[in-house]
This record gives sequence, C-alpha cells and structure tokens, in this order.
Amino acid sequence: MATTASFIIVSRNDIPIYEAEVGSATKREDAAQLHQFVLHAALDIVQDLAWTTSAMFLKNIDRFNDLVVSVYVTAGHTRLMLLHDSRNDDGIKSFFQEVHELYIKVNFLQLGCSVHVLVFHLSIVEKN
Amino acid sequence: MEPDVSIETSCMIRIAVLPVGTVPASVLRDYFSMFLRHHTIPLAAISSFYTEHQKSPFAHQPWDAGSIRFKFLLGGAPPSPWEDFQSNRKILAVIGICHCPSTPDLDSAVEQFTAACKNYSSALVQRCFAFCPCDSQLEDGGKKEDVLRLFPPADHQTLDIHLQTMMQEIAASLLMDFEKWVLKAESAGTILKTPLDSQASLSSEEVLKAKKRRLGRAQKTIGDYCLLAGSPVDASAHYSTALELARLTGDFFWYAGALEGSVCALLMDRVGHVDVVLEDEVKYQYNNVILHYRKSFIQDNAQRVSPLSFELEATLKLARFLCRSKLSKDVVELLTNAADGGKSLIDVNDRLVLFVEIARLFGTLGYQRKAAFFSRQVAQLYLQQDNKFAATSAMQVLAMTTKAYRVQSKASVSDPPCTKKQTGPSHTDSGKMHHHLIVSLFESQWSTLQMVVLREILLSAVRAGDPLTAWSAAARLLRQYYPLITPAGQNGLASALNNSAERLPSGTRSADPALPFVRLHSFPLHPSQMDIIKRSPAREDWWAGSAPSGPFIYTPFSKGEPNDNSKQELVWIVGEPVQVLVELANPCAFDLRVDSMYLTVHSGSFDAFPISVDLPPNSSKVITLSGIPTSVGPITIPGCTVHCFGVITEHHFRDVDNLLLGAAQGLVLSDPFRSCGSAKLRNLSVPSISVVPPLPLLVSHVVGGDGAIILYEGEIRDIWISLANAGTVPVEQAHISLSGKNQDSIISIPYETLKSVLPLKPGAEVILPLTLKAWQLGPMDFEIGGGRAATSGSTGRQFKNASVPTLLIHYAGPSTDSEDATIAKVSNLPPGRRLVLPLHVCVLPGMSLVKARLLSMEIPAHIGDGHPKPVHEEEDPASETVEESDRKMEKRLVKIDPYRGSWGLRFLELELSNPTDVVFEIGVSVQLDGTDDNNLPIDQDGNSEYGYPKTRIDRDYSARVLIPLEHFKLPVLDDSFFMREFCNEGSTSSSRSPSFSEKNTKAELNASIKSLISRIKVRWQSGRNSSGELNIKDAVHTALQTSVMDVLLPDPLTFGFRLTRDNSSPQQESGSKDSVLANDMAPMEVLVRNNTKEMIKMSLGISCRDVAGENCIEGGKSTVLWAGVLNGITMEVPPLQESKHSFSLYFLVPGEYTLVAAAVIEDANDVLRARAKTDSPDEPIYCRGPPFHVRVLGTA
Repeated sequence: MATTASFIIVSRNDIPIYEAEVGSATKREDAAQLHQFVLHAALDIVQDLAWTTSAMFLKNIDRFNDLVVSVYVTAGHTRLMLLHDSRNDDGIKSFFQEVHELYIKVNFLQLGCSVHVLVFHLSIVEKN
Repeated sequence: MEPDVSIETSCMIRIAVLPVGTVPASVLRDYFSMFLRHHTIPLAAISSFYTEHQKSPFAHQPWDAGSIRFKFLLGGAPPSPWEDFQSNRKILAVIGICHCPSTPDLDSAVEQFTAACKNYSSALVQRCFAFCPCDSQLEDGGKKEDVLRLFPPADHQTLDIHLQTMMQEIAASLLMDFEKWVLKAESAGTILKTPLDSQASLSSEEVLKAKKRRLGRAQKTIGDYCLLAGSPVDASAHYSTALELARLTGDFFWYAGALEGSVCALLMDRVGHVDVVLEDEVKYQYNNVILHYRKSFIQDNAQRVSPLSFELEATLKLARFLCRSKLSKDVVELLTNAADGGKSLIDVNDRLVLFVEIARLFGTLGYQRKAAFFSRQVAQLYLQQDNKFAATSAMQVLAMTTKAYRVQSKASVSDPPCTKKQTGPSHTDSGKMHHHLIVSLFESQWSTLQMVVLREILLSAVRAGDPLTAWSAAARLLRQYYPLITPAGQNGLASALNNSAERLPSGTRSADPALPFVRLHSFPLHPSQMDIIKRSPAREDWWAGSAPSGPFIYTPFSKGEPNDNSKQELVWIVGEPVQVLVELANPCAFDLRVDSMYLTVHSGSFDAFPISVDLPPNSSKVITLSGIPTSVGPITIPGCTVHCFGVITEHHFRDVDNLLLGAAQGLVLSDPFRSCGSAKLRNLSVPSISVVPPLPLLVSHVVGGDGAIILYEGEIRDIWISLANAGTVPVEQAHISLSGKNQDSIISIPYETLKSVLPLKPGAEVILPLTLKAWQLGPMDFEIGGGRAATSGSTGRQFKNASVPTLLIHYAGPSTDSEDATIAKVSNLPPGRRLVLPLHVCVLPGMSLVKARLLSMEIPAHIGDGHPKPVHEEEDPASETVEESDRKMEKRLVKIDPYRGSWGLRFLELELSNPTDVVFEIGVSVQLDGTDDNNLPIDQDGNSEYGYPKTRIDRDYSARVLIPLEHFKLPVLDDSFFMREFCNEGSTSSSRSPSFSEKNTKAELNASIKSLISRIKVRWQSGRNSSGELNIKDAVHTALQTSVMDVLLPDPLTFGFRLTRDNSSPQQESGSKDSVLANDMAPMEVLVRNNTKEMIKMSLGISCRDVAGENCIEGGKSTVLWAGVLNGITMEVPPLQESKHSFSLYFLVPGEYTLVAAAVIEDANDVLRARAKTDSPDEPIYCRGPPFHVRVLGTA
C-alpha cells in the first residue's frame, strides 16, 4: 500500500500501546525515530480536531515534509495513527476499519497478552 | 528572515542601542530594560519637541490618539538588502549607552560612538546617553550638547522620567526627519531596488519597466514612512495608490508589500477594536499577500535570492495574528504550510528562524507537542553548526522540549505534575483519577522519543561544555531507560557520568538522581529490650491498655480500625541511634559504587551516618542506614542523599514508590528491583515518626552467662538477673510481670528487690534473684526433645522458644521534667519502656515416673516379749522418752516392726526410670501432721518430715521405691466418715437428695486423698547443682483411687500377741527373747484393741497352725497343748482401749508356729458393718488379726 508508513495505536491516555513500522521502504533507525516524533506531535492536532467532527477517519490531518498523518479515532478515544507518504485515502480508510475490528477483538482478549499481540502484529503486517 | 515578526512590525521604528565604552553586562541589561518601557510614545506627548518647519505631508496624523512605536535592537544589526522594500527594516536611529563610572573619558566615548554610527547610514538620529556622570564629567559633557545626553545620578524613577523625555525628543526629531524625507521623495523621487531586481545587465525594456514601477514603489515607501510616523490614514492612501500602480506594472512583489502595509495601516487605525469582520478582512488580505509573494517568484534568480522568506514571514505574521483569536485550525494550516516552505529556504539561518517561530506559535496555541517537535528541529539545525555557542543554544532549546516529552529535569519541576491538560475530556471521570495521576507521571511509553531527546541533550551539553547538564541528562537516561539500553550503552553512559563529574567541582549537587534505585525497606522495630510503651497518666499500671496486649492481632472488641496503617507510629528517642532499612538496586551491567549515602532529614534534627556501598551488576542489596535524632518533635524522612558518579543527588522514596506502582500497572518499562531478583515488597506505609526526649534504658543479663539454662524436669534453681540503666535518665518506676507459657515455673519473683532500688540512676545496676522450677514436658516436647537427644547425643537445645516464660519489666523515667507541670504537660508524658526478658530455659526430660501402684504384703510378725505397739499408742508421749520415740519412729518408717501385726501392709510402689545420661538420687520424704506430735522435726509448713534413705538410679535404669502407707491410717474408726452414707442408706425416704450427699462424700474422700498425696514428696538430686521434685501426684492419685478406704481406715479391731515371761526366770541364751522353748509352758497374752468409739462385744478365738498349715490345737494330731480358753472367749473392749486375754501354750515339737486371733463381733453397729462391707444386717462380722510367728526351739 505505502512505500513508507508507520502505524501506531495511542490509548486515550496518550500512551502508545502498539507500534509498527510497516511499508516497503527500507527501515532506518533515525527515520523511525522521526516518524515517532511526527506522530507524537500530531496528537496535538488530533486532540482538537477529534471534537470538531463526528467522523472517525480524519485524513491527512498533519504533515511534515512528505510524511502525512492520518488518524482513525475510535469511540473510546483510542487513536489509530498512520504516517504515510502516499495519498491512497480509500486504502487507508479501509485499513483503519480492519485494524479497528481487530483491535476490538483483541481488546476483548486482553491486549496485554503477548500471544494476542503477536497475532495482532502479524495481521497488521499482512494487511500492508 | 527575521525573528518575532508580526503584522505590526511594519509600523515600528528600529533603533539600534549600542554600548559605548565599557559597560558591564548587568548594567547594560538594566539600561536596556529601561528603554523597553518606552517602546510606544504617544504623539500627544511629543508636541512640545515638534516644530512644523513646512507643511506636514502627514495630513491626517492623529495627534490626540496616535503614537510612534520603537523597536530597540541591542547591539544593532547589519544593514538589510531589503531596506528599500520595507522601510521599517532600516535602522533609523542609533542610541549609545555610556556608563560613566566605567568610562571616565567622555571624549573618547563620543568618538567611539560616532565611529559606530557610521555603520548605520540610514540612521536619522544619533544620541549617546551617558548615565551616572561625575561632576567633572557633567561639566565636561555639557560642551557636547549635540550628541551627548547626560543623565545625572538619580533614583530610578527620576531616571525613567528623564529617559522618557529623551525618547520623546527622539520621536519628535524622527517625525520631523520623516516629513523631510517624504517631501523630498514625493518631489524628486528615489530609485528603490530590491535584491530581486538588481540584475547587472538591464535590457532597455526592463529599464523602461523599472521607471514605470518606480512611482508605485515610491508611493509604497511613502506609505511605509507614514506608518512609521504613526499616521495610518495617510499610509492607507499612499498604499492604495501604490497597489494600483503595482498592479498595472505587474510588480507583484511590491504589490504584496504594499498590501501588507495597508493591512498594518488598517490594524493601526482600528487599534483595540478587532472584530470578526476585521479578522476576515485581514485574513483575506494576507492570503492575497502570500499569493502575490508566491507569484513574484522568478525562476532565473531563484538560486540567488527568493521572495520565499517574505512569503513565509507573511504566513507567520498572519498566523500570529490569528493566534490571538485562537483560530487554531487556520493557524495550524498556515504553520504546516510554512514548515513545508522551509525546505526550500536557502539560508540555514532562515530555516532556523522559521522553525523557532513555528515552535513559538504552536506553543502560544497550546500545542506543546508540536512546539516541542519544531524546537527539536531547531536544535538539530543548531547541532549541525559545529560550534560551542550553537551547541549551547541547542541544549537550551532542547531543555524547553523536555516538558512536552516528559523527560524534564527535576530542577525545572517544582510540583509533581498532577494536573495535566492531556487528560482532557475523560478528566471528569473521578474514579479514574488515580490512574490518570500515575499515567501522567510516567508517559514513558514514548520511550524512543524520550531517549532520543535525552541523548541529544547529552550530546549538546558535552559539546557546549556544560558538565552538569550532561550529567543530569545521562542520569535521567540511565535511570529511566536502562532496560532499553545495551550493556555497552550503559557503560558508555556511566563513563559519560564520570567524565562530566570530573569537570564539576566536588560536592556539586544535581536535582536528577542517577543510580541506584533506593526504596524504603522497613523500619526495624525496637529490639524487645527497648520497647517503648505509651503511658496513661491516670493509671497506676500505666502500661496497661497501651500496647497491643495479648496474642491476638485483631480483637473484635478493640475500638477503631486495627487495619488502619496510616496511624502507624514510630517513636524515636533523642540520642539513641535508629536504623532504617533501605533496598538498593543496580539493574545495569556495570559495578556501581555509591561513595556515600545517608538519610535525608530536612529539619536538621537528625545526625545521619553516611556509609558507602558497592553494588555488583544486576543486583540489589538491603542496607541499614542509621543516625541519631538530636531534637524532640516530628521527623520525616523523604529519602536519602547519595553521592554517586561524583555528584550528590537526593533520592526520594516516593519517586521509586510511584515507579513501582507504574511498573505494576504496566506503565513503566521495568521494575528495577524485580529485574535484580529482589522479592516483591509489600506496600510499606511510612509511619509518622516522632522523637521524644531521652528515656531510661535498662539492659539485662543473666548472671553467669546469658546462655540457655538447662534444667531437668521439675528441677528447682535460683538464677540472678542483673539490670543496669544504660540510659541518661533515672528509672523511677518499674514493675515486673510475667507472660508467655509456663508462667508458674517461676516460683519467686523479687518484686520488692526491684522496688527498693528505685530510682535507678543512670549507670546503676541491680541484681534480681529468681527461683525457677522446670516444668513438665508435654508429650510433644518429649518427642522432639527425646528424638534429638537420641540422635545427637548432646544435651539438646531449647525445644521451643514459645514455651519459655517471659519476664516483662515496665519502667519509666521521671513523669515530668519540672515541678510546675500543667495539665497540658501531662498529656505529653514521656513514654515508658518495656524490657522483655525471655528466660532461656531449656527443659530436658529428667527422672520420670513410669508407674505407681498399691501393693499389699503379708509379713508375719514374731511374737516376743515386748508388747506389740499399736501404731497409735505413741500418741501418748509420756509413755516413752523422746529419744526412744524418735528412734522408734525412724525405725518404723524405715522398716517394718516385726513385732507388730503387719498383715495386709500396704505400700505405694513408684517405678521410676532415668532416661538421661546422668545419675539421679531419689529421696522420698513423708510429712506427718505436725499437730499430732510436736516432738518431730518441724519444717516450715508446720509439718514433720521423714526421709527415707536415698535411692540411686543410674542412667538408663529404672528403680522402684516403696512407700509404706500404714501410718496414714486414721487413729479411730468412727462414724464421721460414714455418717453421711448411713444417713443416705438409713433414710431413703428423707427429703435430702441422695446425689448431693454422694457428692459431698466423694469430695471429702478426694480431699483426704489429696492431703495424703501431698504429704508424699519425691525429691531428686543429680550432680552437685541439680535438684528438683518429681511430680507424682496424678500417678499416685490414680493408684490410690480404688483402695483408699483400706489405706486410710483402720480395722475396727487390732490383735497382738506377746509372751508374758516371768521376769525373774533366767533368760535363755540359746534363743532370742522372742523364741519359745519346746516342752515348756509358754504363757501368752492376746491383746485386742478397739479402734472404734463404741464398746465392742465379741467372741474371740485363737488358733495355732504349724508350718504345714495344719491346725495343731484341735484334731487328732495336735502337737500343742494349752491352758486357758482359746475359743469362744467373750470379751468386751471399751472404746479405744485394749483388753488382754491370757493363756498358755505348751509346744511339743520345736518349729515354726503361727498364731492367729479372730473374733466375731456381736451386736455390730452400722459403722462396723460399713467397714466390713456387709450386705445384710444379719451377717456376722468377722475380724481376723494378722498372723504371728512363734519360733519354738528344741531343748536339746
């Protein structure tokens, strides 16, 4: 789907509960750090934006250089955030919806359990 | 690009403020801050300095409401190539600051200032302000009126007014200069260029175009000057002309500039009245500005110069304007665009300025994370420049981001970040507050970011040469992220810490703790020797009810909540060392050396003792920190001070507690203690500690060694306990009590000894004697003890401490310090103390009673000369001398008197065994009632005592001891014993309840058995020191239970025989006096004693048998002849009297004969019947005496 992407789930306490570097681009450590910095900063935008709209999918809310941040805010104010460099909005939206479903399932089974997290991780990697 | 731009920047006059001569930095700062206060000069205030030389071009100048604004640039600025384009970029005035005390030569100062002014060609006004001149300088300076302005020394306020006047004067001169310039520009026109259009070779067409454009540009510049002069209406008019002309000539860049100016003029005109319509207007216009700046981008000179920075500046100006009304969405959009544009900026410094401004604007908007993000971008740009100052800047910028990334130094946090904006809408959920609190404390899940930021701070601090910041960053990095750092990285950080510390002066403190992790482990309780007991002043026994007494932790009757831990209190005493256990953890891969460590007490009323610790990699350690409280009052221990890695830091226990709490909830990466293998600690509530004045302190030891006292069961021993007052206060009250098991083993307690030595002065000692009697081991103890003794062969250890009795000594010092103590003081009664002194007694199984049983024996008596003495005849002491009586008694108790009938003699047989490995000697003693006979040795109980010879029992042997019970018989068989029984039997119809009397009887019986048993004592002795008493009571009781009647009650009649020799006849030598010769007449007597209180009538008979048991008086083969009556002798014996019946026997054959007397009692009463246990009243009662032996010697 994307050449460079970083996916993160942020709990309502602003704590990241899941991180994954996805996408086909070669992974570099400093790039991954930058991705996290951008995503962390984008939380400020999401925080304001989420209360102005009823939509769950907030596309392209923030960007830095070529990196664009899209967010999916769940009802429980958990934020699924994707940092990407392409503009395939539909693909991103459907990705978010699938991840949300998975997230709900896994949440039932306690996200803390590492096995489920592994399953979750594999599913997400597969989707990209 | 310029920093800190806003729409209003266009109307500010730039003034360079330059230090002249030597001006100390702090003084310069003071002076500059004075200038800053005068940034706006109202036009109304400058009218006195203003003279209108010619008609002012600023026709609509608002003299009543308008103002002139200054922007002061300390140190000035290099001239900008864009000065023509934006006149506000020109430096229009130069002010020198001269500090006279440090610059005595005013002439040279003026020269210096004049030289400096040459760099500012556009400056219209130059002034040099000389502060604090001395008198001579004042005089001297007065000559240079044109440039120099002297500020005589005055107070701050006066100086301020003086300065204000000077600034008004400057404003007036500037205004007049602007008028001149505008008039000149309008008439002559000027060439206005920007770097954009300063090409070397202008084509003719372009020259023509430039000429056309010139007019528009001139109008724009005049507009700029109008703005600077504080006349927005004039400015607006000129700008609109300029816009028209620029549009016509396609001069987009100047069009945008003029548009910018017109917006500024609009805002100035409407100052203080910003509404939505105006906002929209400004927004619209500025978007236009941005658009036109973008349009003016010319491809061919893009490499050299670009209007991009103006576009970005305009974007930032608009953003700043909108920021005020919190149109965050628009602002974000603008700033994001600006950030995007930053990529194309050629100059690195421009990019730096851009990012700084973006970060500031995000910060104003409240977007701290965004601001932090761009601040970090700024820091990275700084770090790309390889110099120390840039590194310092980077460090400072990064320090600002630490709050957003939650890695701030503790030095910058005054309060714990309890209330966080981020909790946002869910904040109302009060139930989750606690969780949120913890979450806000540890947002460490963004660990990647946090580590990067800290690493960058470390890097920049090292580069900037700030060792303390470097140390602090490395400490935070190591402490919080050690699980994410490789061992090599950890070592690197450790060496970074050490390197930084080397550059720091020793004793430097840092707010951020590094390693180790320190948590409170426990407060060791006072050793039982030093227990502190609260005194209740009202009671005599002040210790009662204060301490938790009794074995139960929880009692349903105790008031309040026993589980309320917060009420836990700890009492420390001034001058007595205390200890606190803390646990240290080093989860890193290097050896950690803590140079010194001690408890932190801020009140200063505590002397802490520092210690040093070495912690191997991945280890934890519990250590004891100690100190001495020095003054009375409450004390709190928030943490401890640690000197590690060359820097002193304070470690708060609360921080680690929070960390552990966070770890428990999965918010923190790792629990350092668990990763070091330390066990999970229960939540320790920190007790409130109060320090009390000095108390007495008793220390005890057992005289002769504090080791366990080894006793055999039943052993009695005296011990001496020495108590000494080791405190500094005398003991004034003391009381001994007992607790624990086997309390009755302490036979005597020296209450009085202790009381008599009070008050016990400090250093004084008292010795308390105590008598112990070892208790019996229960079956459990036996098993354990026996097993051990058998396996180890040693004397065994103490079996269970729990079974040891404990001596409690409650003691206290003086109740009040002074005589004039009031009631308030009573409540402050210093506490008392309790000395718990377990008596380490080890009881070994000793002599044990295997079995006790009652034996009956038949030992026939010999008939002799002497009158067989019935037992109770000795009641008459007059009959014999005292010595004889003693001797006889002794004899009788020791062995059987052969001349007394001993038929049916009863013995108590005690079978004793000695399982130990020492020898025991058993002594049996019997007490007689002292009232019976006062000749006997009388012991303290008033009873006479007789001892049997000692019996020795070797180890692993058993022995039997016989105790004759004969003398326990009651002297008289009377009805008192049976009375109740008779009543019961005789009057069954009576109203008395049979069960009641039965009970009474039984009780009486038991009482008599008890008294019997208590008179028998079995004492033992082993070796020189051990002696004790065997507990045989129960065993004897069971042995005697069934046949106690027989033991206690005498027969109604006792019989005895004796020879009635003629004293005159010669004594026979051949035989003893108790033998009889054959073929000789042997006169004899039978003695019958009546043991009852009634007269007994009886029919007595005497029989004689030979060895074979044949009756040798009657029958055909009788070998004995007799004289007198032998059968059917009717006798009447008065109560408690004896009757004799004489007869003679003539033995034909020598040998052994047995004489037996028997009687049938006639008209027996109930007592006799009961004794004989007859069934029917008609049954004859038959009494038989014990057999008597007669040895008949032959004559040959």
